[in-house]
Amino acid sequence: MKDLKYRAYVKRTPYLFLAPYFCLVCIFFIYPLISAFLLSFQQTNGPKSKAFVGLSNYSFVLTDPDFHKAVKNTAIYAVFSIFLQLPISLGLAMLLNTAKDKTKGFFRLIIFSPNLVGQIFVGVIFSVLFVPRYGLFNRFMQSLIYWGLENRWLENPTLVLPAVIITALWMYVGFNMIYFLAGLQSVDKSLVEAARIDGANPWQVFWNVTLPAIKPVATFVVVMSTIGSFQLFELPFSLLKGEFGPSSSGLFIVSYLYQMAFRAGDLGTGAAVGWILTLMIMIISLTQIKMSGTLEEGK
Amino acid sequence: MEFPYGKAPFWILVMAIITGLAMMLSRTFTNAGRPDLVFVVFAPRHYEAYLKLIPEFERKHNVKVQLQQVHQRPLQTRLQSALLADTDVPDMVEIMNPFMGAFMKGPLDDVGFVDLTDRVKAEKLDEKMVESRFSIWSSRGRIFALPHDVHPVALAYRRDIVEHLGIDVNKIETWDDFVRIAHEKIVKDVDGDGIIDRYALDLSISGTSFFPIILLQRGGRYFDSQGNLTMDTDITIDTILWYIRQSRGKTRISFPAGEGQPFYKALSDGIILFNFVPDWRSKVFEIDAEDLKGKMALMPLPAWEKGGRRTSTWGGTGLAITEKSKNKELAWELAKFLYLNKKDFSDRFAMLNVIPPLKEAWDLPAFQVEDEYYSGQKIGQIYAELAPETPPDYVGAYYEMVDGKTREVLIDGGVYYEKYGDKGLREFVTEKLKQKAAYVRRVMNRNVFLREGEVEITDANSSKENAG
Repeated sequence: MKDLKYRAYVKRTPYLFLAPYFCLVCIFFIYPLISAFLLSFQQTNGPKSKAFVGLSNYSFVLTDPDFHKAVKNTAIYAVFSIFLQLPISLGLAMLLNTAKDKTKGFFRLIIFSPNLVGQIFVGVIFSVLFVPRYGLFNRFMQSLIYWGLENRWLENPTLVLPAVIITALWMYVGFNMIYFLAGLQSVDKSLVEAARIDGANPWQVFWNVTLPAIKPVATFVVVMSTIGSFQLFELPFSLLKGEFGPSSSGLFIVSYLYQMAFRAGDLGTGAAVGWILTLMIMIISLTQIKMSGTLEEGK
Repeated sequence: MEFPYGKAPFWILVMAIITGLAMMLSRTFTNAGRPDLVFVVFAPRHYEAYLKLIPEFERKHNVKVQLQQVHQRPLQTRLQSALLADTDVPDMVEIMNPFMGAFMKGPLDDVGFVDLTDRVKAEKLDEKMVESRFSIWSSRGRIFALPHDVHPVALAYRRDIVEHLGIDVNKIETWDDFVRIAHEKIVKDVDGDGIIDRYALDLSISGTSFFPIILLQRGGRYFDSQGNLTMDTDITIDTILWYIRQSRGKTRISFPAGEGQPFYKALSDGIILFNFVPDWRSKVFEIDAEDLKGKMALMPLPAWEKGGRRTSTWGGTGLAITEKSKNKELAWELAKFLYLNKKDFSDRFAMLNVIPPLKEAWDLPAFQVEDEYYSGQKIGQIYAELAPETPPDYVGAYYEMVDGKTREVLIDGGVYYEKYGDKGLREFVTEKLKQKAAYVRRVMNRNVFLREGEVEITDANSSKENAG
C-alpha cells in the first residue's frame, strides 16, 4: 500500500513542478491567444458594447487599400533587410574574422554599438539627421555627391521608405554581423586550408567551404530578420514622430495594427490584423527554412 | 519535519506567500490613502500651475486631490484602453484636441466622460466663454469637456527683415495680397548660388498642423456639429489647391522648416519670415528663439476675402470628468475652480501666453502688458481681439483618419502638380478627395455602434452646415 502511494507521489511530482509554468502560460499566453481569436470576430466599444460581426473584420482588412500599402511597405523593407543588410553584415563579419584579435574586439564593439541604444532613440536621432538643409545626412550627401541638401526625407512619400531602410541599416548591420562572426569562427580551419592547398581561390573557398559551414547560422539570421521586418514598428514610429508618413508611405503591418486597435479604437479589427500577420510570418518562415534545406538535414 | 518536495520548492513557496501578502497589504494601504480626486494632465506648464492652485481647493473643500502628469499620446491610448477594458481611470483628465474624437466611437451613452451640457448651460458658460470652443469637445450636440483655451492663430513675423524689405503688413489684408508681396519682395536667391535663401511662410508639404488651420479659417471643416462627414466640399478642394501652389514647385512661397532646432535655425537665419502662431506658440518662440527678442511682431492672418475672418485655431485642451468617477460633483467644482479662476488667469498668461475662453477675463491688466519680444506689442490684446472670430472645429470619431486622408490628397496632388503643373490638377484633387471620403464613409458605416439616427453617414452635400 505504502509502495503504491509512493509511486503515485513520484508520478505526480513532475506535474506539480510544471504546474506554475503551465499556469503562467495559460494565463498570459493561451488565454490572450484565444481571446484575441474570438475578438477578431467582434466589434467592441468598451465593456457595454460588443457585437459579433463574423468575418467582417477579416474581409475589411484584406480589402483595405491601407493594409495593402502596409503589406507592400513591409515586404519591400523585408527584401532590403535580407538582400542589402545581411550581405553587408556578412561582409563586415568576414573582414573582422581576418583581423587581429585586438582590433577585432574594438571594431566589433563600434559596429555593434548602434544596437545598444534602442530603436526609439535611433528614430529620434535620425529624424533630426534627415531635416532638409540643416540635417547632417543631407549636408553629408550634398558635400559627397552634390545632391540631397533640400531632400525632405520624412515628408516626401517616395523618400520615406528609403529613410527607414537607411536608419535600419545603420542599426541592424552590427547586430547581424555578430551572428555571422560567431558562425565564421566555428568554421573548421583545416577545411579552408585543404581547399586552398587544392588551389581554390578566395571566392571558391567562400562559396564551397565557408558558406555551407555557416548555413545554419545564415538560415537563422535570414528567418529572424524576416520575422523582425514583419514586426517592424518602433523605428518608423519614432522616426516619423508617431505618424505613418505622408500618404501612409511609412505604414507597416504592425503600424496598421496599432492604428486600427489603438488610434481608431477598433480592437476587433486589430486582432484580425494580428492573426493575419501571424499567418504570414508562419508561411514565410517555414518556406525559408524549407528552401534552405535545413529542415531536410535535420530529419 | 521536512517539506515533501525538497528545500528549493519550499523556499519558492515561502517567497510566493510573502510576495502575495505584501501585494495584498500594499493594495489595502493604497486604497486607504486614495485621494478624493485623481486628476491627470499632459502639459508640464499646466501641471506646475495647478500644483500651486490645488492646495487652496483642498483646504476649502477639506479633500485630497492627486495631480499626475502623463505625456499626451500615452495619456490618450492608456485612457482609451482603460475605458475599453473597464479598468481604473482617473476622475478628471485634460485631453488634447483632436484626441477627443477617439472616445466618441460609440453611442453617446457609451462615451466614458460625463455629459456636461446641462451643467454648462445652467452656469451659462456657453455664453460666458467663446462659444466655438465647445465644438472640439462636443459630439452630436452634447458637450463632454470644458475648454481650457481659445488658441486663436496670428502670423508672427520677422519685423526687422520685413521692415527692411519695405513691406507694410497693414496693407496685407488678404491671402492674395500676401502671395503677391511674397513673390515681389520676399522669395529670393539672395547670394545667387541657385538656392532660394528667403521664403515668406513656413508650410510643411504634408500639411501637418498647417492645412487644418487654413481650412478652418476659410470656413471648411472635417465634420459638422452632428458628426456628419464634410471633408469633400468645394472649400476643401480650393484650400488643397491653394496649399499645393504655395508649397510645391518653383513658384512656391513657403519652406518646410520642420520643428525644434532646425525650425528655429531657419527662423533665426531669416529663411522663413512669417509663421502661424497661436497664443501658446508665441510663448514657445520666446523661449526657444530668445535671440529674436525685439525682432518679432504679430499680425492677424490675412483674410480669404476683404473683411473676412482674420484668424483660425490650432490645438486645444479640454477638461473631462470620467463617468467612472465616484466624486463627479467635486470634480465639477474643481474644474470650475481651475478654469474660471480669475486670480490664476494673469499668472497663466504670464507663464503660457494663453488667453482663457472666459471673455470677461480679457480685460484684466495682464492682457494689456507690452511684450518686449514682440517689439512692444500688447499680444494679450491682439489674441483677445481675434478670439471671438475663432472658427468651430467639430470633432468626430474618425477625426484623425479624416485629417490623414485629406492630407494624403494634398500630397498626391502636390506630386501631380510638380509633374504636370496646374493642368488637370483640380479634377485630380476632386477625384482623389471623393475616393478618400468614400473610404472614410465605408469605415464609418462598419461601425455598428453609431446608432441609426445619431449620425447620418451620407455625402458632404447633405449636411445643412456644409459651408461648401
